[in-house]
Amino acid sequence: MIIVILKDIAFLSMISVSLAIIMVIAQKWLSNYGECKIDINGKREITVIGGNSLLSSLSDKQIFLPSACGGRGTCGACKCKVISGGGPLLPTEKPVLTAEEIAAGDIRLSCQVKVKIDIKIEIPSSIFNIRRYHAVITEIIDYTYDTKGITFKLDEGEKIDFLAGQYVQIDTLPYASVKQKVSRAYSISSKPEINDALQLIIRYVPEGICTTWVHQFLKVGDHVSLTGPYGDFFLRDTEADIIYVAGGSGKAPIKSMLEHLQVVGTNRKMTYFFGARTPKDLYLTDEMKALEKVFPDFKYEPVLSASVASDNWTGKTGFLMPYFAEAIRDPKNTEAYLCGSPGMISAVTKSLIEHGIPKDKIYYDSFG
Amino acid sequence: MKETTKEQRTRARMMPGAITLSGFLGKDKRTLNAIISADEQELEKLGKTAEELADRMFYFTDASFSTYDGTITVDEYYIVETEVTRGKLPCPYAHGGIFRKAITKLTNTKNNTSVTWSFLNIHLIKDHHFFEGKGSTFRLEPAKLVETLY
Repeated sequence: MIIVILKDIAFLSMISVSLAIIMVIAQKWLSNYGECKIDINGKREITVIGGNSLLSSLSDKQIFLPSACGGRGTCGACKCKVISGGGPLLPTEKPVLTAEEIAAGDIRLSCQVKVKIDIKIEIPSSIFNIRRYHAVITEIIDYTYDTKGITFKLDEGEKIDFLAGQYVQIDTLPYASVKQKVSRAYSISSKPEINDALQLIIRYVPEGICTTWVHQFLKVGDHVSLTGPYGDFFLRDTEADIIYVAGGSGKAPIKSMLEHLQVVGTNRKMTYFFGARTPKDLYLTDEMKALEKVFPDFKYEPVLSASVASDNWTGKTGFLMPYFAEAIRDPKNTEAYLCGSPGMISAVTKSLIEHGIPKDKIYYDSFG
Repeated sequence: MKETTKEQRTRARMMPGAITLSGFLGKDKRTLNAIISADEQELEKLGKTAEELADRMFYFTDASFSTYDGTITVDEYYIVETEVTRGKLPCPYAHGGIFRKAITKLTNTKNNTSVTWSFLNIHLIKDHHFFEGKGSTFRLEPAKLVETLY
């Protein structure tokens, strides 16, 4: 009886092993797409090994599309136009595409599209300026109880060219219970004239994988990698008046813009409204106030929305919007640069338009 | 009852470090089905459905989301504070749903109770009847939730 059972077990095991071998071989044949070509903008062609995502295939060739979620299909930052070869739209893409993009049919999430055949895509030419950099942490400053300024010194010989207002993505390292790396986007807060180092301002987010790493594990001397620069939120080179509006870590890109203008010089009339809830949420106030003496027509206005009497706050309170009127002298010749939460961006944009600032001169980076 | 492969994959996505730092299960060793069933039984005793609670949570979050600083008093007694941070989170059930990183704190001044939830919590309760495992950072006890929401 026992021998019969053992024979049956052996027989079943043989079948299982045989099936597994067949599956491995089949997998190798079926998923072997060979070499595929990616035509970029009809101007450049790269050859990749098929079977990987379009996003990773491009990054293997040092072409970095933005991706804040590490290719999980959740951030939508890696959208690009796929002219042909992308296959049908996948269910995993739809949640982050707009109705118009779905209707157009050629806007795809590059992290979800697999390169299985030759493929034609269109991407902004600025993408070619994006590179991977390696850096060492040289300074960590506590700006507030939950916000740090982190300085990255790029490795010897590496230089990054960016516009004031753009952002980079940093890659975390595994730590504690986090076994996989994630990439997260942060605006550069230093000026573009310093191109062998950069500073980011990072606010702690409870349960955030990247911000916990930055706030609790990252230390001076650590080596990290990052990609960039990304983004179309940057200072326009005009002579128009400027209204800056920021909240929380939204101060980072505005700081970069102001420090850049300090280097190149400007006579533009500029007013910077920084919205915070309480005095403990304010930072870099002295530095921003000091710029009032640097520029011929600049005003820094911190405004607290939840200040109480015991704060002894003597500055502006409430919402920012009521203070715009006194800062705008010629709305048609005024640009606005906004960086903050969606609620703040929405309320501020509505108010600026009511004050006559053209919608197409209001540039913003909402915490999308 | 043993978990299916699909449930095991969902459980893996709920572990610490996969989507959020501490995950969705806390120290709860029960299967997902067991966690959900226990909470559904408690809801029945409370005379509420998961959908009702999620709709009420969304009502408060939505009211505060588009305000200038995310703070608003609703229906006289409820102080709602929603803080939005950069980025989005996917649902661990992996059906393609993604949700803004927004945390709402609701304070009911009638009975002085408060609860905190994320956008993702609302979805997990409404569509999956999942209140998270015991000891999870964003675990919502149904009784406490009902007490604060109404």
